[in-house]
Amino acid sequence: MEYLMAKIELSNISHTYNPNDTNPTYALNPFSMTWENGKRYAILGPSGCGKTTMLNIVSGLVKPSKGKILFDENDVTDLITEERNIAQVFQFPVIYNTMTVYDNLAFPLRCRNFSDQKIEERVKSVSDTLRLSSFLKSPARKLTADQKQLISLGRGLVREDVAGVLMDEPLTVIDPDLKFRLRRNLKEINEQYKTTLVYVTHDQNEAMTFADNIIVMDQGEIVQVGLPKDLFEKPRTTFVGYFIGSPAMNLFNSQILSDNSLKFNNDTIKTRTDLSKIKNKDVKLGIRSEFIKIATDEKENVVSVKVTRVEDLGNYKLITAKMGDFTIKSKVTRETEIPSQDVKLHIPAEKCCVYENNKLI
Amino acid sequence: MEKLYKFLKYTFIILWTVFIVAPFLWAISTSFKDFQSVNSKVTYIPWLDFEPTLEGWRVLVKSPARGGVDIVEPYFNSLFVTCTASLISIVLGTLAAYALSRFTFKAGFVRNNDITFFFISQRIMPPIVLSIPFFIFLSTIGLLDSLIGLVVVYIVLLMPIAVWIMVDFFNRVPKELDETALIDGCNPYQAFYKVVLPNSIPGLIVAGMFCIIFGWIDFFFAFILTFTEVQLLPVKVVALNSSITPWWSLSASALISVAPLIIVAFVVERYLSKGNLSGALK
Repeated sequence: MEYLMAKIELSNISHTYNPNDTNPTYALNPFSMTWENGKRYAILGPSGCGKTTMLNIVSGLVKPSKGKILFDENDVTDLITEERNIAQVFQFPVIYNTMTVYDNLAFPLRCRNFSDQKIEERVKSVSDTLRLSSFLKSPARKLTADQKQLISLGRGLVREDVAGVLMDEPLTVIDPDLKFRLRRNLKEINEQYKTTLVYVTHDQNEAMTFADNIIVMDQGEIVQVGLPKDLFEKPRTTFVGYFIGSPAMNLFNSQILSDNSLKFNNDTIKTRTDLSKIKNKDVKLGIRSEFIKIATDEKENVVSVKVTRVEDLGNYKLITAKMGDFTIKSKVTRETEIPSQDVKLHIPAEKCCVYENNKLI
Repeated sequence: MEKLYKFLKYTFIILWTVFIVAPFLWAISTSFKDFQSVNSKVTYIPWLDFEPTLEGWRVLVKSPARGGVDIVEPYFNSLFVTCTASLISIVLGTLAAYALSRFTFKAGFVRNNDITFFFISQRIMPPIVLSIPFFIFLSTIGLLDSLIGLVVVYIVLLMPIAVWIMVDFFNRVPKELDETALIDGCNPYQAFYKVVLPNSIPGLIVAGMFCIIFGWIDFFFAFILTFTEVQLLPVKVVALNSSITPWWSLSASALISVAPLIIVAFVVERYLSKGNLSGALK
């Protein structure tokens, strides 16, 4: 049974690698998720958070301990990899050493009994995109590491009918210039053929530039799924705030003063969040350094700080300042003058995120 | 400095070559001598030092009735037993090694490593320990003094070598290779013989070489498990000896005994020098 371009649904999936232990540790905690057909997804998270396990479950290399996988409403949980019609690219190049580049690229099509003419047409198209055309006749083992990775990628892209192409940090071994071009190529391929692409990475820039939707994972848990903008402006947990963005989100311990204001150091900060229902008065205030500017004539949400360091990072300036025990970072335009050590910073209320137990209120 | 290095290097290579080749030259020379040339004084060069004769070689193909020792039949017996046992060992050993490398087995307290060790332990035991069980086993099933019986015993001896080498080899083949083949649309069997096996040719060659060498040179079991019906080359060569040591025919038989191994060495060397064995992975 083959599935053409499917919606991929993961329903109540969880996985442990030691199911027989009395207290199994879960590589993936129960979750459900749907990957719409033809979209680009990025799975983002630190090493060991379960990203690769999730991919292997979708491709069938790992059978989940619990839960179901559906391709277009068809249950494929018990199907083996070969029958799932999924392409997967690993972090390190995997090539068939004994074959030429052409045979490597043609292999997935040959296994599925495509006609020679069709194979040639597809291999040509993919090798043009990946700039491998001039190597087609050489033995694959003679190529450099990044060219080998292009072959791996090519084998994933050569089949038009796949339910999805899963990529596990595929561009790690490729040099930055080519990386940039390939990412754009992948986007074009996705737009042209409407292939669902799932891209695992721990590089947030890669995720942000590549995906329509980003799935942030931490310790076997899906923390947030959303557009790059959501992850940036409204991180659902302090982990996302910390993990996404450079520098990480400013996070401060503070106390609730009223329904919409917080005590922060000795100042009062107003927020747009309704704090009336929160029992625990100790919360965290999160604000992106991009949104903190030097105060001009604002009356509210202004704090006095002592600047400890100003770094010119080319396209912007990064101000590091002290305020009591707190360190606050602010990203300002290069042209901004920093008048003296003592400045006033404005924290816009609409950009403030308040976290109770590290979860967004 | 560089010249000195080159000089030392070539001196060493030349000395080593002499060390390796001299016994062969000596044997070649001796194989063409007769009783007189061996026993009177030290001689080296045919026609100058002594009158060459083919007697040492002729004896080997004559039947015992005509005063010869006929090693032709044992020679082909040895070839048959070694090649058959090696081939079967490589096929079974490779399959076993792949399974041991890729799948997890559990039987009571027994795990993959224990199974691998069980194979290797067959070679750890001194052969003499196995001789009586093998003898009783073969006589029970009526295969004593037969080619098939020897093949069976040699499979037991050679398969551990194949398993040992191939487990190590497969462990170094990344499992992503198999997984990629599965994703590309192979079933597990196709993944093995279309992708993993072609990648393992260097390992197969090394394992095959060891099987052939150990099978070919075995004297002990060939000696214990055969009597009159079937004889293998090592036993027959030893049987050449008599009260007057026939150095000429011993040399000749040593040379033709070693010939297949030299051919194997040259074939394998081609792979070694091309770097196909060492750089096959990565």
